Amino acid sequence: MRPTPFEYHRAESLDHALALLAEFGEEGRPLGGGQSLVPMMNLRLARPAHLVDINGLPLDFIEVEGDVLRVGALVRHERYLKEKVIGERFAAFHDAVQWIGHPTIRSRGTIGGSIAHADPSAELPAVAMLYGATIIARSANGERRIAADDFFLGAYMTALEAGEMVVAVEFPLPPAHSAGAFMEISERRSDFATVSVGAQITFSGGSITGARIVATGVELQPIRAIPAEEALSGKPLSACEARAAGRAFAEGIDPISDNVASSEYRRSLAAELTSRAVEKACQRALEAGQE
Amino acid sequence: MQEIELEVNGVRRRLSVEPRRLLADVLRQEFGLSGVHIGCAQGACGCCTVHIEGVPRLSCLTFAVQCDGASIRTVESIGGVRAEHLLQEAFRSEHGLQCGYCTPGYIMTLVPFVSRMVEEARMPEDEEIREAMSGNICRCTGYHGIVAAVRKAIGDQMAASGGANHAG
Ligand SMILES: Cc1cc2nc3c(=O)[nH]c(=O)nc-3n(C[C@H](O)[C@H](O)[C@H](O)COP(=O)(O)OP(=O)(O)OC[C@H]3O[C@@H](n4cnc5c(N)ncnc54)[C@H](O)[C@@H]3O)c2cc1C
Repeated sequence: MRPTPFEYHRAESLDHALALLAEFGEEGRPLGGGQSLVPMMNLRLARPAHLVDINGLPLDFIEVEGDVLRVGALVRHERYLKEKVIGERFAAFHDAVQWIGHPTIRSRGTIGGSIAHADPSAELPAVAMLYGATIIARSANGERRIAADDFFLGAYMTALEAGEMVVAVEFPLPPAHSAGAFMEISERRSDFATVSVGAQITFSGGSITGARIVATGVELQPIRAIPAEEALSGKPLSACEARAAGRAFAEGIDPISDNVASSEYRRSLAAELTSRAVEKACQRALEAGQE
Repeated sequence: MQEIELEVNGVRRRLSVEPRRLLADVLRQEFGLSGVHIGCAQGACGCCTVHIEGVPRLSCLTFAVQCDGASIRTVESIGGVRAEHLLQEAFRSEHGLQCGYCTPGYIMTLVPFVSRMVEEARMPEDEEIREAMSGNICRCTGYHGIVAAVRKAIGDQMAASGGANHAG
């Protein structure tokens, strides 16, 4: 099958893109890497009348400003693997990117597209929630800053309105005494996750002072594993509490069931991956402490 | 219809296309390049991989209008009419193909990988080779032959380029 007819517009500037998106409203869509939108159009699950190609816009920046990492909407997935600041300060982010699709997808897909597409098992939405990121959206009417926690509303549903596009995602730099990890199980390496879990902890004097844990594959959007976060607070880094945290999370969820995995299997994966992610984060914290 | 100019395998041509036409279809139908295979049209099988400005890209997830002014290479540009690139030779000798449907996609995905390994003068572990080809699906070989072909091509190419130190 092939896409239904549409008009193609190459945006010459951000203002141009926003004007076009304002004009077309629900009928228009930004075209980023096309790695999710074009498959949907080929299957005729999406039938936009207008595509606004944003690939020429200067939105492919990664910059640190004060204590914020700003990632432009057009940054391609593969780039994080080479960015020093991601490897050094955002280990869970770095882990997660390696699970996104395959190399050809990673060299083309963008963060703006991934966040806006909001596939229930995509990694970057989970990463954005894990670090408490802020999504910067622009429309012809101005800018909105939306917390990642409030952005993902369901499968392929976000807080974005017609005519609005993501221009950047801002990640607060994690504090010095923090560490994280991201774990995933998928049917094949290049597939979307069955379940994935990211954990980010802060610590002081050998104990965990705070934890943030996010999982995909449980609900139709990434969720915080709050019982696991609470179970870890004040516990020693020696990670013996990782299993208990995984269990605490798994007990309180009622995962979705689909053709990929049953609810029960997802529950056990959620427990196991939470435990592994916490363990790895603690291990990294201990290693950092020894340096 | 939209007027675009493409440079395909060294030949520059202007043509009019409907925006909804996929690069894969335009290469096959307008340029007669039947080596661009279409498997899934969803980005999962890798059969349609071509190079756009030297980078492997899925031509089934790219509209031809997006490529106005771009330089594109298909499998027809690799190894001449007899397909004599060392990677193609290695696919033959190591049983890296059977029916051949997926082969152009593998070649286009892996030629840059092989070159990079030769440049870096290192023989990758099988795991790294498998990761490099994780965007391509082959239903015949069971992949072992393809991994072997990649290793052989890297070794042969290193030897040909003056025997750079070749570990593993
Ligand atoms: C075989 C295959 C496997 C994949 N596996 C994974 C995986 O494991 N994990 C994963 O996370 N992803 C996976 N993907 C998807 C991939 O990561 C996409 O690149 C990503 O989801 C979308 O990014 P894009 O830039 O390609 O967006 P596009 O496809 O261009 O757009 C997707 C949607 O977002 C909108 N959009 C694009 N840019 C913006 C913007 N700046 N602002 C507002 N809206 C915008 C579009 O209008 C469209 O609705 C896979 C894709 C394929 C084909």
